[in-house]
Amino acid sequence: MSAFANEPILELRRASVRSGLADALAQLDARLPLEVPLLIGADRVASGSRATLVSTDPGLPAREVARAPEATAADVDAAVRAAAQAARTWSREDAGLRAGILRSAAAWMREHRLELSALVLRECAKPWPEADADVCEAIDFLEYYAAGAVALAEPRPLAQVPGEHNELRYVARGVCAVIAPWNFPLAIACGMTAAALATGSAVVLKPAEQSPGCAGALARALAAGGLPPGALSLLPGAGEVGAALVRHPGVHTIAFTGSQAVGLEIIRAAAEVVPGQNHLKRVVAELGGKNCVIVAADADLDEAVPAIVSSAFAYAGQKCSAAARVLAHEAIAEALAERLAGATRVLVVGQAQELATQVPPLIEADAQDRLRSCGEQADREGHVLVAADDVPAVGWFAAPVVVADLPGGSSLLEREIFGPLLTVERVRDVEAACDIVDALPFALTGGLFARDPGTVRYVRGRTPVGNLYVNRGITGAVVARQPFGGNRLSGNGTKAGGPDYLLQFVEPRVVSENTMRHGLAI
Amino acid sequence: MDSGLEQDIGRIGRELAAAFPAALRNPVRSVDARAMELAASDQELKAALFRFVDVVPACRSLDDLARHLTGFLEEVDGPPMPVTAAMRLAGTRAGRAALGAAAAGGVRHMAHRFIVGTTLEDASGPLRRLWERGAACSVDLLGEATVTSPEADSYAQRCAQTLEQLTRITAGWPARPGLEADSIGPLPRANVSVKVSALTPLLRPDAPELGREDAARRLRPLLLAARELGAHVHIDMESFDSREAVVGVVLGLLSEPELRDGPSVGVVLQAYLRDSGETLEQILAFARDSSSPGGRGRIPPLQVRLVKGAYWDHELVQARQHGWSAPVYEDKPESDRNFEALTRRLLDSRPLVRVAVASHNLRSVAHAIAYNRATGGEDRDLEIQVLRGLGDELQDALAHLGLRVRTYCPIGNLVAGMAYLVRRLLENTSNDSFLVAQAGGVTLDRLLSAP
Repeated sequence: MSAFANEPILELRRASVRSGLADALAQLDARLPLEVPLLIGADRVASGSRATLVSTDPGLPAREVARAPEATAADVDAAVRAAAQAARTWSREDAGLRAGILRSAAAWMREHRLELSALVLRECAKPWPEADADVCEAIDFLEYYAAGAVALAEPRPLAQVPGEHNELRYVARGVCAVIAPWNFPLAIACGMTAAALATGSAVVLKPAEQSPGCAGALARALAAGGLPPGALSLLPGAGEVGAALVRHPGVHTIAFTGSQAVGLEIIRAAAEVVPGQNHLKRVVAELGGKNCVIVAADADLDEAVPAIVSSAFAYAGQKCSAAARVLAHEAIAEALAERLAGATRVLVVGQAQELATQVPPLIEADAQDRLRSCGEQADREGHVLVAADDVPAVGWFAAPVVVADLPGGSSLLEREIFGPLLTVERVRDVEAACDIVDALPFALTGGLFARDPGTVRYVRGRTPVGNLYVNRGITGAVVARQPFGGNRLSGNGTKAGGPDYLLQFVEPRVVSENTMRHGLAI
Repeated sequence: MDSGLEQDIGRIGRELAAAFPAALRNPVRSVDARAMELAASDQELKAALFRFVDVVPACRSLDDLARHLTGFLEEVDGPPMPVTAAMRLAGTRAGRAALGAAAAGGVRHMAHRFIVGTTLEDASGPLRRLWERGAACSVDLLGEATVTSPEADSYAQRCAQTLEQLTRITAGWPARPGLEADSIGPLPRANVSVKVSALTPLLRPDAPELGREDAARRLRPLLLAARELGAHVHIDMESFDSREAVVGVVLGLLSEPELRDGPSVGVVLQAYLRDSGETLEQILAFARDSSSPGGRGRIPPLQVRLVKGAYWDHELVQARQHGWSAPVYEDKPESDRNFEALTRRLLDSRPLVRVAVASHNLRSVAHAIAYNRATGGEDRDLEIQVLRGLGDELQDALAHLGLRVRTYCPIGNLVAGMAYLVRRLLENTSNDSFLVAQAGGVTLDRLLSAP
């Protein structure tokens, strides 16, 4: 087996690569809206009397991107039962066979690379480079977990003494409910699904209500790769569908990526053993962040400024890893704030399909309202360096905001905003910055710009975050290179795209056999 | 290649080598002999020294400086003697002050070799002395990265001032006919190199139009001013990420009616890029298309400065991180061979373009001179460019032999110049560096053999 290598992102600096994009989008547009199926086991369920879930283009809300029958409570029950049925055979398949299917799905995605990027772009307003990275990450997850699951299928070494044989194997947990977010509509849905499938669980996928089209594409890829019908059910729907899944007695593992509020609710609900349930549910929770970037006095601001600006505002800040707070050493705070503001002012706010765009529209109207009120709060409480002034009228746009001098305790410094708002604070020294980070309930990503190796050592030793990035941007974790996930209230410490992630989807079983027969050790 | 040309290259190379100043002050020896030799021989130490040089401008005190130096040196396994001595020194406050002062002095000393002055006023003396020694100059304004519009405006304003001041300063210089005209016509004395990345904060590899338009907005007035002043503006090339925008902004502006008949403008071609031949054809096609009816190309012609390229490590690392094929040749001889092929293509394309060959590699330079002569060109129709601080000896040798030489002279303060300095130091200690080979005692015949 060849070593894992990341899927190369498109080399968009070459005109020949860029020139294919518009065509791919036009071809997709001609097919919109996509019809996404409700899949229960092997069955494509007719919409019948179900409501229709519709996703729209955040940049042009009148444009429908995908339509799907909305799953009901009865569908949830049917899907979990079908998954339990399918899991019996799927879990017994050879790990190599399952891996082969995931790799074939990855190959299908490679063949449909631009089509998939175009869909991510339209449904979630991700600009081309980010949409392409989403597809690459999905491919990486399929390949990486395929390889990891094969390795995990080998018995683990245990202590052996004469007369007994001990064996530890990891086996599938059963039915996995995947509840996926819209901000990495293909990658994260695919990652959680691939991890469960690779290790032998059957999956019931409840995608974000904003991105059923991308989930439909994932189901197509897996089917094209040869996944047995039934191993994946697809339940488009809103929050209630996810909630019903979580409470269902037949679900063994819940893989969730999303907001802290929903995540805590899932953990609470999953802890309750309901009638018909003979196991403890396990939750994999990737929640939000309030990610701080510390800038030391000896930082190279030429590098820090662009890296912070893109970490804060790319994809309009709608990443759990995005930079939210800059903690600047007082010696450079003023220069840094001025340059950050200047670099933010020249960001291009626009439609996702324009290559020039850095800040696309937000996902939906609610998000736009939320950012508008955050902007007003920033205005009341702090010193706004860059204001959210005029943005395009059509589309859920919010222009980037940079605000300094917020009073301690301002909610803008504490809650996750999930949009283009960056706060800048002056700190006495790096130690004070670490104290601030330490006091936060979140611990997802963090950044440090410093050149003194002693400073780097100090922050590395103190930081609670799951992913610390030194002298670079703090978003864009790459499978196998930056296993990703947070601590504290940002998640239960699992690392997507890392060597241990698959352990969440299996349970260990140990068999000890007495090999002595009448004094003869076999 | 025919053996006659090879013989000429060898002869010219030996003439040049013989014309090097008597006491060979090879930069690698003299910059800071011990430190640079140590650095070239030990990768970890090299990394430590570069990281230190890089952070010097951000250090706030001698103590801070010494702490950084020892911090970097601590990461070197099995440090050589001078390093352990330095680390012992850092144990006390007084020791740190001494170490910090020594290190700061060392860096400043190195920087001054490469950077001709803090301001144009400071530099005017050295620039005039260069001229009197037989070398023209191109002035480059060092600066921090441009990340905001005001920074781009301020760089453009500095360039405009420099064009104007340099024109005034150079007007008082004595006549140097060999540096002031080629067979096409007069060559401006005032010559400023400009970076597109400093003229716009919007330079983005995936959206070159954005940076191109924003940079054009600031470059256009500079070109118009240069035309009025009779000065030359040379647009530098940087990493591959910005090449499309840089070529686009220059060719786009020169197509505008008001810039068709001036000023004198130059672009850069990087021979280490695998597709540099295509870029050259694009430039030549432009020059042909913008020809006057006589078919002689733009007057004054576009100048092409052929370089090997200074971002080799960056290009390779970036390509490897992204899983892309590298845009640069990975073997140095390939890029040397391409340099020679492009030299010939360029020299064959005159008078459509003016040719400047920028290299410290004796072989590459001798090849250009020999090919120019072999194809009937006059020496004054080939410009050889060198970098201040690295090509000083070659510059003197070229001037001594009556060849036309121009020295690229950065101006700015240490803080501003550090990125430039680090790049120069990298070149200087690279195992592939011609200068390192030259300093390391590789024979002249070997240095002059075909790549």
